[in-house]
Amino acid sequence: MLKLENISKKLGTFSLSGISIDIAEGDYFVLLGRSGSGKTQLLELIAGLKDPDSGRILVYNEDITWKKIQDRNIGLVFQDYAIFPNMTVFGNIAYSLHCGRVEEKEIKERVDTIARELNISDILNRFTNNLSGGELQRVALARTLITYPKILLLDEPLASIDSSLKDDIKKIFRQLHRRGLTIVHVTHDYREAVSLATSVGVIHNGQIIQVGTPSEVFSKPVNKFVARYSGIRSFFRVKFSNEGGIWKAGCDSTISFVMKEDNYPSEGLMIIRSNEIKIHNTEPTDSYANCFKGIVSDVFPSEFGMEVTVDAGEKFYVDISSESYKLLNINELSEVWITFPAEAGIALQGGG
Amino acid sequence: MIKNTPFNWIMLILSSLVLLFILAPLAGMFLKTGGAELLETVNDKDVQESIWLTLWVAFAATFIFAIGSVPLAWLLARKNFPLKKVVQGIIDLPVVLPHTAAGLAVLGFISRDGFLGKAAGSMGLTLINNPAGIALAMAFVSVPFLINSARDGFAAVPERLEKAALTLGANRSRVFFTVSLPIAWRSIMTGFVMMFARGMSEFGAVVIVAYHPMIAPVLIYERFSSFGLNYARPASVLFIVVALIVFILLRLIPGRKKETQLSPDAET
Repeated sequence: MLKLENISKKLGTFSLSGISIDIAEGDYFVLLGRSGSGKTQLLELIAGLKDPDSGRILVYNEDITWKKIQDRNIGLVFQDYAIFPNMTVFGNIAYSLHCGRVEEKEIKERVDTIARELNISDILNRFTNNLSGGELQRVALARTLITYPKILLLDEPLASIDSSLKDDIKKIFRQLHRRGLTIVHVTHDYREAVSLATSVGVIHNGQIIQVGTPSEVFSKPVNKFVARYSGIRSFFRVKFSNEGGIWKAGCDSTISFVMKEDNYPSEGLMIIRSNEIKIHNTEPTDSYANCFKGIVSDVFPSEFGMEVTVDAGEKFYVDISSESYKLLNINELSEVWITFPAEAGIALQGGG
Repeated sequence: MIKNTPFNWIMLILSSLVLLFILAPLAGMFLKTGGAELLETVNDKDVQESIWLTLWVAFAATFIFAIGSVPLAWLLARKNFPLKKVVQGIIDLPVVLPHTAAGLAVLGFISRDGFLGKAAGSMGLTLINNPAGIALAMAFVSVPFLINSARDGFAAVPERLEKAALTLGANRSRVFFTVSLPIAWRSIMTGFVMMFARGMSEFGAVVIVAYHPMIAPVLIYERFSSFGLNYARPASVLFIVVALIVFILLRLIPGRKKETQLSPDAET
């Protein structure tokens, strides 16, 4: 649906090079990258705010590389919302309709409808000076969505929002995605990708280094950068269930994790941080919430000492110090037990 | 609240000396002007005509030049082009020129032999000793204030707002009139007021292109040189009062707009 073919753009000393991405209709594509990796530049190229030096941008197989911004019908929500301070919330949302010379009656109806959907009807007549981050984000979304864009581009949409409000905004994004809107969301936070994306791309120094489903990208990073950057070693798609008051997260394999008491969705994604998993070379006698027998499938030095991969039906990536590794006296194919507390499992809602 | 420290006291004393330097001569002039003299000056037709001429010509010059200055300011704030720094230097040139030299430059331009003078002459208009010539002299020395203030205003408009407007379907001119211009408006108005005030108080450049009709600064100088300080002082006081009133009124325009934006229903 949205296809970038070998896009290159030189921007001072930085350059985007050979960017090729194919995003399907209805996809929620999260582009992950650090600050200065070229994420925002790429969005601006798709929106038409910048022209590429080479390459093509196609939407539904139509080449829009040189099409006017106004004719692309691609919505862009900026990182800090870019709300017009000289207009009321209503004026902001209605801006595109005034550009299109829509009748005042229709403008009012459409603004009211979108404001109701995004729960901002009560602030329509206010100026934007004192709105909260969450309200500004909703106004920015409403202002863009009212144009019925084919593709919604979100530039770090959760970066300036209080963590308490992030879930509300994520919920809106999920609803939009469920309705079939194709979304391209750029962020530096892998947790946003895990909880929202149906596909993920990782950009580094102006180049796309991996594209795939969240599971593919985070469990099988193509290189050390993606693995380190994502901060995730052990990543599982699970179904949550409450068995006699104990929350469990079952994987497709036979493994089932004991989770801390909390409210969980019926299914989702969970991670276990590498540093919370312990390795034992004999069967532990103490009681652990989670204890699994496995085989060491890989061992290699890491910045923490050694990274040990244990195959216990699912792959667990465990960081241990070099000293501990020596004491454990384990090698590839050694039989080991891994343990971790119920609190180590972190559920990430959604995740496509 | 300023803390009671020796450093702060030194800063306060030095600041007070400068303020006193500005206020003392003005206060002295006001105190030495009697009510009867002032009333007589208020009723003086020459003084009335002179102040009115000064006000409307300065306003007209500012208004007309704003039409070209605002786009120039936007170009300087938003676009990079060859010799941009040279253009910026040219804009600042009238500020550093001696005003009599500026007047001579304008005179050369609007005299019968000058480019503009010839053009005006062909339409039967003489710019020298004419309000149009006065307006040009005022504008020459004061237009940098408007351009620079408006340029700073446009530069302070976040570019992402303009980009957002473009993605929402606005064309470039709509973005300019609905986003850039309104947000830079306060700076433009500040520049407008500064240009108007500077033009209104101009003497050196104006006296060279038009001794008559007399604008207020020329009239004050003429009375001082012909009749002395006591005769010139009431006209000065009256002009200062009128100028201050106009200045305050113009300053209130952007202020009122701000208040509208921050009306109670805009508060959380």
